[in-house]
Amino acid sequence: MKRIFTLLLLLMLGLAACSGEAAEEPTSEPAAESADTAETIAEPTEEAVAEPTAAETEPVEEVEATAVPTEAPLAEAPTSNLTDGCVENYDESVDYFPQKTAVTHADGFTVDYFNNYKVVTVAAPWLGAEDSATYLLVQCGTPAPEGFDDAVTVEVPIHSFVSMSTTYLPYLDTFGKLDTLVGVDSGSFAYNPTVQEMLAAGELVELGSGSTVNVEAALELDPDVIMTSASGSADFDTHPKLEEVGLTVVLNADYLDVTPLGRAEWGKFIAVFYNEEAQAEALFNDVVSEYEALTALTADSAERPTVFANTPYEGTWYMPGGQSYTAQLFDVAGADYLWGEDESTSTLFLDFETVFDQAAEGDYWLNLGFVFSLADLETADERFADFAAFQNGTVYNYDLRTNAFGGNDFFESAAANPQLVLADLIKIFHPDLLPDHELVYYRIVE
Amino acid sequence: MQHVTTETQTAVSNPNRQAVAMGLLVLALVGAFLVSLFVGSVRIPLDEILRILVGATPAKETWATIVWKFRLPKALTAVLAGSALSVSGLQMQTMFRNPLAGPFVLGINSGASLGVALVVLAVGTTGSTLLAGLGLLSDFGIVVAASLGAGLVLFLVLGVARRVETMTLLILGLMFGYATSALVSVLLYFSIAERIQAYIAWTFGSFGGVTWSQMRVMAPTVLLGLIIAWLSAKPLNALLLGETYAYSLGLSVRRARIAVLVSASLMAGAITAFCGPIGFVGIAVPHLCRSLFGTSNHRVLIPATILLGGVVTLVADLIAQMPGSQTTLPLNAVTALIGAPVVTWVILRQRNLRSSFAG
Repeated sequence: MKRIFTLLLLLMLGLAACSGEAAEEPTSEPAAESADTAETIAEPTEEAVAEPTAAETEPVEEVEATAVPTEAPLAEAPTSNLTDGCVENYDESVDYFPQKTAVTHADGFTVDYFNNYKVVTVAAPWLGAEDSATYLLVQCGTPAPEGFDDAVTVEVPIHSFVSMSTTYLPYLDTFGKLDTLVGVDSGSFAYNPTVQEMLAAGELVELGSGSTVNVEAALELDPDVIMTSASGSADFDTHPKLEEVGLTVVLNADYLDVTPLGRAEWGKFIAVFYNEEAQAEALFNDVVSEYEALTALTADSAERPTVFANTPYEGTWYMPGGQSYTAQLFDVAGADYLWGEDESTSTLFLDFETVFDQAAEGDYWLNLGFVFSLADLETADERFADFAAFQNGTVYNYDLRTNAFGGNDFFESAAANPQLVLADLIKIFHPDLLPDHELVYYRIVE
Repeated sequence: MQHVTTETQTAVSNPNRQAVAMGLLVLALVGAFLVSLFVGSVRIPLDEILRILVGATPAKETWATIVWKFRLPKALTAVLAGSALSVSGLQMQTMFRNPLAGPFVLGINSGASLGVALVVLAVGTTGSTLLAGLGLLSDFGIVVAASLGAGLVLFLVLGVARRVETMTLLILGLMFGYATSALVSVLLYFSIAERIQAYIAWTFGSFGGVTWSQMRVMAPTVLLGLIIAWLSAKPLNALLLGETYAYSLGLSVRRARIAVLVSASLMAGAITAFCGPIGFVGIAVPHLCRSLFGTSNHRVLIPATILLGGVVTLVADLIAQMPGSQTTLPLNAVTALIGAPVVTWVILRQRNLRSSFAG
């Protein structure tokens, strides 16, 4: 019975998908045809003045210059990406993405540009993934190219977006695209005030995540893109169920980029779906220059205080690896991370006594997690009070910006703003280097 | 009647064997305890540890803290947990005359699990600031939640125990366990991954989280349970022959049953609250002791399970620490992985298992 029902459902879905395509085709074809006719009309008149081959291959300005009288029906080359709407007169010789992004710091993705489409590749969507993920982003109003059978095709610019991680929200906010947000995984994690307002107004659907994601609600919503991260484990991943029913899922692997600037550059990965390359480039360039200026501040500070991080849970202390994202930030902020010699980029699982042996005299203790006061810490385990950092009051947590729902902005916007995190850390380790900086994410634990 | 004579015969015929076995167990316990002080993920030279133990200052100051505040409470916790769970398991096996019974047969651990699940998992769905303010998000909060859950079940069990017979209690405990795990599954279903991981980490069990201030609550509770257990050794011997028989011996079955229930629940509840649900030890150690001592006399079995229980948990914890590495294995995985083959072997060798339960 259940099987029959599922089959029926799939059949209906299939029909719906087919009719959707059928409806789209006529709208895109006439556009292409009209472009063709435009050319044929233009050609005879032009013949005497310029060779048609030149018009096709050379930059468009020349066409404009040579064919002034008959310019009107010709497809005009845009000087900026179309961030709203579609191409009306498609010309295959025109570069529809004059504003391109160049990935300089992130290891996880690449963007290749062609005249009317771009190919975005995520080398490894999760740690140890065997296959890369390819996304074919086709400019709306232009035909999709052949030969990308394995790629997920998305028509850009997109108009609706489901965010399954809060780390995407800061970029949507900066690019002015929060109005395209139609769904999130769970509203209680979000810190962004606009997103909280949208949630309160009932404008966002909460889909849940992992194997319990609400597929029916996702189908009903039918967003242009559902962006999520993936772990490769069927129990925790959201994308297999959504892909199964034909939804467009884009895997974002920002968390795998271990350099602070590399991770921040994933804003460009989101921007390409909106054709907002110009904004993304400007934003990232600002981040890089601020980050590098701050790095220079600590470059030759002679005193480097020692630092360690996190708290143990049920006997295991989850310490960031020596080459991890956190460790790199500690390093450029002018501190000596006590596990800095370690070679790994992931988390170390340590015994409490191991950490105590190495960090008992450590100068600073950061990133405690769900800890609100030193008293809390001592109640949880009185051995915490034996750390010198505890006794000296040099304990800092990343929970300055937390809202009533438990959403912590550090987990949301810190990845997009490594320059702010770095400034906080420098303020903590070397207060005299940044006298005017006020802590953004960090709070001294008292 | 015949059974009583057999038992007295074995007990009388093997007094030497039992004394030797008991002596060996004491040595093993002391040995395992010392080894667990000497071995840890931080390498501290043997002579330095001896200096620390006699109160002298070691070469490195943190080493003294490590031995006094980390290794000593942990080793003590392991001994207390092993003893408490084993005696509690023995009591339940005798009372229900069921070789599969264990300390958690009454649903004590289910109650504790539910308490922990409510605190750890509900945080994601409700406003977390309230719980955070109460400090309920820390390990200490988990101890409080588990104690409340276990205490609630104990209260229910005792309330019901007055009205129903022993076997009904067993089934009620089982049903309560099912209902609780269903509730926990529902909570897991609605929780986020990090919270689920936190809950799962608790179910792995650990002796390392017990500090001296927590020891001040846990140790007296466990000791009280052990004393009641020792006092109930005689009624337990009588119960082994069946409730009717015990009654005919002039024993107040109801009072004995309440004493056993209180003792077993106190011990299982305290250990589960502070260390998580430590599986396997409570079922396995009583069987090992019966086999080792060749008796079902509780005057022998209770001290024997106290000693062997302590040895087993100390060794399991040493293995979980994986000496030489900085990482640790889940304790529950170790107890079952090492313990299951041992118990299987013992049970297969001992063909008269049934007689231990006066079947």
